[in-house]
Amino acid sequence: MRRMSLSSRLALLFAACTAVVSLFAGVLFNRASEAHFIELDQQQLDGKLIGLRRALQDLQPGQREARLADELSRQADLSLRITGADGQRWYDSSTQIPKDLPQQTGLSTISNDGTDYRVLNAPLYPEKPDSPQLSLLLDITHHQHFLQRMQHLIWLTVGLSALATALLGAWAARSGLRPLRRMSAVARGISAQSLNARLPEEQIPPELAEMAHSFNAMLARLDDSFQRLSAFSADIAHELRTPLSNLLTHTQVTLTRPRPIEDYREALHSNLEELQWMAQLVNDMLYLAKADHGLLIPKREPLELADETDVLLEFFAPLAEDAGVKLTREGHARIESDRSMLRRALSNLLDNALRFTPAEGYVSLRIVDQPSAVRISVENSGEGISAELLPRLFDRFYRADPARQEGSSEHAGLGLAITQSIVRAHGGQIHCESEAGWTRFVIELPKGD
Amino acid sequence: MKLLIVEDQAKTGQYLRQGLTEAGFNTELVADGNSGQQLALSGDYALLILDVMLPGRNGWQILHAVRSAGLDTPVLFLTAKDAVEDRVHGLELGADDYLVKPFAFSELLARVRSLLRRGSATTQETSLQLADLRLDLIRRRVERSGQRIDLTAKEFALLEMLLRRQGEVLPKSLIASQVWDMNFDSDTNVIEVAIRRLRLKIDDEFPNKLIHTVRGMGYVLEERGA
Repeated sequence: MRRMSLSSRLALLFAACTAVVSLFAGVLFNRASEAHFIELDQQQLDGKLIGLRRALQDLQPGQREARLADELSRQADLSLRITGADGQRWYDSSTQIPKDLPQQTGLSTISNDGTDYRVLNAPLYPEKPDSPQLSLLLDITHHQHFLQRMQHLIWLTVGLSALATALLGAWAARSGLRPLRRMSAVARGISAQSLNARLPEEQIPPELAEMAHSFNAMLARLDDSFQRLSAFSADIAHELRTPLSNLLTHTQVTLTRPRPIEDYREALHSNLEELQWMAQLVNDMLYLAKADHGLLIPKREPLELADETDVLLEFFAPLAEDAGVKLTREGHARIESDRSMLRRALSNLLDNALRFTPAEGYVSLRIVDQPSAVRISVENSGEGISAELLPRLFDRFYRADPARQEGSSEHAGLGLAITQSIVRAHGGQIHCESEAGWTRFVIELPKGD
Repeated sequence: MKLLIVEDQAKTGQYLRQGLTEAGFNTELVADGNSGQQLALSGDYALLILDVMLPGRNGWQILHAVRSAGLDTPVLFLTAKDAVEDRVHGLELGADDYLVKPFAFSELLARVRSLLRRGSATTQETSLQLADLRLDLIRRRVERSGQRIDLTAKEFALLEMLLRRQGEVLPKSLIASQVWDMNFDSDTNVIEVAIRRLRLKIDDEFPNKLIHTVRGMGYVLEERGA
């Protein structure tokens, strides 16, 4: 089913509103005029009634008919019936009078043979209980015609005004929605090369400002991710270029002239180191690529975190002792998690922490059992990391030390990125906080489902 | 003791055969799945090294045929794929080990030796020895030249592994996995430090060094002429 456009929808709504309003006004006017006519008729008939009663009272029986005819002849649309107390018809001023008239006293409206009458029933002698009844009839056909014309006019007004507002509304909606079209024009113009385009938020009406803001924020995120991705590809090439060029140069130089066997062995060993570093890099990148494609699926098993981390602490103990760093763990919690992945994630953090802790410093691992999550933090003493670098720590190939050595057997700068991927694969979060004197990585893992 | 390598990439196959032959194994190399399966079913081999992607018949099909024929020859898979499902699939079919390319040859060699050793019944030793180094498994004591040496539990486990596999080059990843149960690639230098600390206690005071570094490959415990 095709969706109706926003402009037509608004135009139709406008039209419907106008129709309802004008219909309501018309009906109200119609009612008011009808009431006004009834009031006029009542006054006229009441006046006539008084005249007739007086005429009939004063006169002798013989003169009555002539006087009545005289009284009624002055008004062509008026006729009279007099009925006796026994229901006998005494007098009709005209042959047009319908046979049956309403019996109740007071004003009523009847319709007969295409003619409408207002009928006023009243006793001739109000003080006598068995008084003959006077029925005064007023022909109101022309009133009714007027009201009918009014009704037609109302319908016409309703129709025309609805049509007019539909057209006007469509135009208004189109011009009102112009900012939306501008947004879509910007969106159309966006490609990988122009992710820096933004909507001018100050020119957008307040109703759309939030959407424009979200839209701009989305563009900013895309831009950022894209930048990172491009930087990542460039970094991969860069990281591989150094060891590759070492390998090429070293091998070619070695082969340029005959050498003692020891030199060949040395060359091969050196090549082996470069190659191992490259293999490690490729494996780490494949791991990250797998995480990016959502293929890193943790095999969850119940783990006692204190035991798991103690195993890791034992693994790192030689390194810590060697560096004169105090390595401790406190707290415990149970969690469902992938043992091998968790070990890898935490070992990267511990390795990282030990790398940056000065002698006599400490690395402490803290486990906090929270109601819905487990918090694992790895804190180390040391210089601390400046706030503007914190968000970049998890970037691939990012090394806090600017004098990084590519191709050395030192780490490739993917450790924290891998840790982050593992934590995310578990539905958790990781962040780093630091101040002068300490740095702390905090992992929060949700407790099962 | 014969090993069968089924690998369709010529260079890889050649290097594998050369490396394993020089390590003292009798090896045979075929490049396609069908002849690989025929040979494997003959039952003449102590170990099969199978690539997964092969022309004719893939490694899993060969493994399936071998297990269906009732043979329990150990099987080591080599693959460029690292999907967890692949690994699980291979192990479900009855593979004994799994190596993802790129791998280090020293790693492959160590695993081949582990698999071959698994078949043979190991006698329950009470002590291990190399030259004047003695490790008492029951009392958990280490002596060198009659001198008692105090080791931590992990140092003891590390030395035990080196002694049990003396003469073999043990890659760092294998040591991390066997001694500390850390089964992942890590660029940490914990193993280097642990070996250095072990050397400090075992080797430093003695002229005859036993723990040797094989550059780029790992560590080996053996007696080398002075």
